[in-house]
Amino acid sequence: MASHIPNLNTLRRGRGRGRGIGRTEETGLPGLPSGKDRIVQGTDNDASVSRLSAVELGYLEDAYAAALTPAGAATRRLPIINRGTYARTTAIDQLVARFLGPSSAENTHKKQIISLGAGSDTRVFRLLSSRQTPDFVYHELDFAVNTAEKIRAIRSAPVLQSALGIDSSGVSSEKDTRVTVSEAGDALHSPSYHVHPVDLRSLSTCSDPAGALPGVETGLPTLLISECCLVYLSPLEANQVVAFFTQRLFGHGNPVPGPGDILQAAQPNVAPLGLILYEPIRPNDAFGRTMVSNLAARGIQLKTLPTYASLEAQRGRFQDQGFGDGQAAADIEFIWKRWVNEDEKERVAGLEMLDEMEEWQLLARHYCIAWGWRDRHDTPAFAGWKDLEGQQGE
Amino acid sequence: MSDLDRAIEQLRACRLIPESQVRELCYKARELLIEEGNVVSVDAPVTICGDIHGQFHDLMELFRVGGDVPDTNYLFMGDFVDRGFYSLESFLLLLCLKVRYPDRITLIRGNHESRQITTVYGFYDECIRKYGSANVWRYCCEVFDYLALGAIVLGASSELEPSNTALPSMPIDDSELETEVLNSRGEVTMSTYRARQRSSSDASTDSRNISPPRDISAAPGQAAAPSRSGAPGTGASGDGNGSATTSRTGAVLCVHGGLSPLIDSVDKIRLIDRKQEVPHEGAMCDLLWSDPDEIEGWGLSPRGAGFLFGGDIVKQFNHLNGLSLVARAHQLVMEGYKEMFDGGIVTVWSAPNYCYRCGNVAAILELGEDSSGGGTVARSNGEYGRSNGIVTDNRVVSPGRRYRVFEAAAQDTRGMPAKKPVADYFL
Repeated sequence: MASHIPNLNTLRRGRGRGRGIGRTEETGLPGLPSGKDRIVQGTDNDASVSRLSAVELGYLEDAYAAALTPAGAATRRLPIINRGTYARTTAIDQLVARFLGPSSAENTHKKQIISLGAGSDTRVFRLLSSRQTPDFVYHELDFAVNTAEKIRAIRSAPVLQSALGIDSSGVSSEKDTRVTVSEAGDALHSPSYHVHPVDLRSLSTCSDPAGALPGVETGLPTLLISECCLVYLSPLEANQVVAFFTQRLFGHGNPVPGPGDILQAAQPNVAPLGLILYEPIRPNDAFGRTMVSNLAARGIQLKTLPTYASLEAQRGRFQDQGFGDGQAAADIEFIWKRWVNEDEKERVAGLEMLDEMEEWQLLARHYCIAWGWRDRHDTPAFAGWKDLEGQQGE
Repeated sequence: MSDLDRAIEQLRACRLIPESQVRELCYKARELLIEEGNVVSVDAPVTICGDIHGQFHDLMELFRVGGDVPDTNYLFMGDFVDRGFYSLESFLLLLCLKVRYPDRITLIRGNHESRQITTVYGFYDECIRKYGSANVWRYCCEVFDYLALGAIVLGASSELEPSNTALPSMPIDDSELETEVLNSRGEVTMSTYRARQRSSSDASTDSRNISPPRDISAAPGQAAAPSRSGAPGTGASGDGNGSATTSRTGAVLCVHGGLSPLIDSVDKIRLIDRKQEVPHEGAMCDLLWSDPDEIEGWGLSPRGAGFLFGGDIVKQFNHLNGLSLVARAHQLVMEGYKEMFDGGIVTVWSAPNYCYRCGNVAAILELGEDSSGGGTVARSNGEYGRSNGIVTDNRVVSPGRRYRVFEAAAQDTRGMPAKKPVADYFL
């Protein structure tokens, strides 16, 4: 049961902070994730450290990066890593912004975002602080260890609380009374932001889809985001996770039209649904093979990578999974070249001397962003994605 | 055994020498390097190597494949430090070898031999980590300032003696072996031939611009020939008996990056005041930063320093300076080497599986000694063909080129600590 907490700030001293401590306490206890899962959970550190590095060097603006990086973990990453973090983050930001539409009083179309394996991601805080009205609901799903860690971070960082509209002065306001945290400290619910402690693999077998993710509004246009998350599951598990949303939670996205039916008529009440994937690609060339074996040495297996090894396979995946209205993909090198305007490219290139041109191309060609959607044709939610340039070919 | 020999032995085992010894070594190295010109003259035979980047175990593999110092005469084209985890061990070993055998190893400066770059790309941090202060970094940077900017290789043979005598040494009477690619087991994986020079003007170019075989580790159809022809690097071909005429093999210019719009002759390189930190622009910067590209003329470099230069620039530069080839490093090439512009320029890359991540193979380039004509004909040294502006069809012939391709060393098998370096990925 969720306990009512008037002021998160008063709980700051409650528990120790820092991933290391949390992990050590929790490992080895029954019912907790296996060693492989823990390694995957640990990959989140990589992402947050890279993000902080890019922020501190001026690639990205993110007031929340420091608060969501483990204390003492800050490390300056190499220029190619910083540029990759920049390209990845800004590309997804752009897809998200086009989905949400302009932030204004006139834009009253409420939207929903569900981030899979969100870890320490800062996007929700950036959106909440940058948009005029809370015109969206944001859900983050992750292992309980990771969500508990995030909620601890929120409890100890006033900057995160104020983004959520929680008054950190210690005085309880009208707004923050609507924030609740579960007794275990691993679930958080508020009007615009929900954190769900969930093993994604359990979704396919749950009997009550809506009950599994309280706060999800199944009638809203919804965007799913997987930044290096589904790639760790087996192809079957990954497909089941996506199918949970496309078919069970948000209705069937790919109905077989009856005789004489047109597709639009067959799905009048199905919510528009989009999916953004960010994951490695092209495992079969020299760089890709080395990447796979280096990560395997760290205990990390990219299980869907052999199946979705090319841009083409990624596009086909969206088609197969019911995102019938659009499927596109581009590698990070393409994104950098075509999505970043010349002025911005010059600004970013000026931040650090990037000597590793050949290595940058190699690295950037081995990560892709793929996106696909199904829409409602009377009031489309993904119209803004149509003119985003995808990359042709493999 | 001298202190120097002891230091070499220690560094070969990937163990660092004390700070006081580093200071002394750097002092001696500076004394030696200060005497070298901006462009060092090197006589063939020589083995030309590209970027090392602190990949110490792969440097040991390079010596295994290419032969040891002083048996093999080496020319390293810079970028000894940064990126890898053993920049100190790699650079200090090379420096010890330089001081111990000054005539058998030539070190020229790469763009990473710079204070500014080493603070971003790892060498500075490594010095702090391993010595506890920036002293050693400072000593090394002072040495960097004295490193030559380029080298001219003279007296290289136009023809290679085939490595693999077990095979019919190529059928065509009237052809000579121009290039040969060997894997790390000494097996020939590719050969190209050209028509033997009857006169200097009928050089066939149809075998030029070779590209490496797709899979270098597999020696197609040649697995039964593991024998290596003589000591590597001691004169890849040496024997010039077969030459019908004295070959007019042009000199080979070696620089880390490439050409500069401010430099139209080798002599202009000699005029640079090099004893300084690598500047952000200008001729010295360009030599260390530029890249050849499939363009015409000059272009802006995406690296933010140096320029891109096209085949026309290389052709003209080589012609004006009596050069047959520019050898350079600086760019990762997955196959270890890459010839461009009808063989007018070659990139040599000697850091296999660069940054423990890229999956590439590495290569070194052996140029043999031309013993056919007393070795004087080709000594253009930048003077050849420049006396009058008229093209007299005194075409220089490119040297025979033997590429030895090798893969990353398997660290665990070499008695080294099997500490696997971790490469960054986006996760």
